Amino acid sequence: MKIGEKYAARNAANDDNMVPLINVVFLMLVFFMVAGQIQKADPIAVMPPHSINDNRAVTDPSIEIVLGTDGSLYVDDKLFVIDDVQVYLEQQFASAPDKEAFWVQIKADGGISLEKLRPVFNQVRLAGLTKVSLATQLERGKE
Amino acid sequence: MPLNLSQPKRKNAISLTPLIDVVFILLLFFMLTSSFVPWRIVDTPLSMTPDTQKPVEEKDNLILTLKQNDDQVWVEGQAVSFSDQSRLQTLVADHNGGIFVIKAEEGVTLQTLMHLADRLKLNGAKTVSIANAFAMPETK
Repeated sequence: MKIGEKYAARNAANDDNMVPLINVVFLMLVFFMVAGQIQKADPIAVMPPHSINDNRAVTDPSIEIVLGTDGSLYVDDKLFVIDDVQVYLEQQFASAPDKEAFWVQIKADGGISLEKLRPVFNQVRLAGLTKVSLATQLERGKE
Repeated sequence: MPLNLSQPKRKNAISLTPLIDVVFILLLFFMLTSSFVPWRIVDTPLSMTPDTQKPVEEKDNLILTLKQNDDQVWVEGQAVSFSDQSRLQTLVADHNGGIFVIKAEEGVTLQTLMHLADRLKLNGAKTVSIANAFAMPETK
């Protein structure tokens, strides 16, 4: 009955073999929970320009404009035509409870040329907003 | 007749498999939603009207023009390479009372602009203005 005993022993200890696996998985879980930040995904993938600039946003932006490499423009996750942006910004500003804290964040890909950005800035200016920030990402190795 | 009480099983642990299932799902969730990109912001305050951009022409201010993405900037009619540390340092030292205004021509990318702003900052420039690079051509 040697084979039967061996089989029974292995069967009983089946779950015990999983303990190291659980340990590793728990460690990974804790790492991702602590080190990662959960945030809303952008409507399109953009790679903002690298910079040594280390300013963090204190508050969340009131309006987020995303400009992709193909020139597509998303305002608050909705696809926009450039000429409609001004009206939308004016509406949002009019209905904002705290006008002082109202600011616009522009997330543009580092690879797009500046003349694609100019109409966007122009629309923001036409809407009468002055607090505008560009998103950058911190350059690695120079922190 | 002896009472035959069966010994309670010492090791009657609950199965770990459902636990692992849940933990794996949590792990997947956190792996997919986490973002490790260190986001930062650069303030580019806009002036209300194009007229107020006139101070750009003041004496102390230095206007730098980007023409292409070739890591060169044109200052006072001369091309200066981004990697030319000593030249950039002299430029910054000569004009540090004013604002370094960066302008850009067609085709210059955002990354090139940020790269120049970084270079100026690294060489000691106090105030770098990039908002003019985003001004519409007719308001220049």
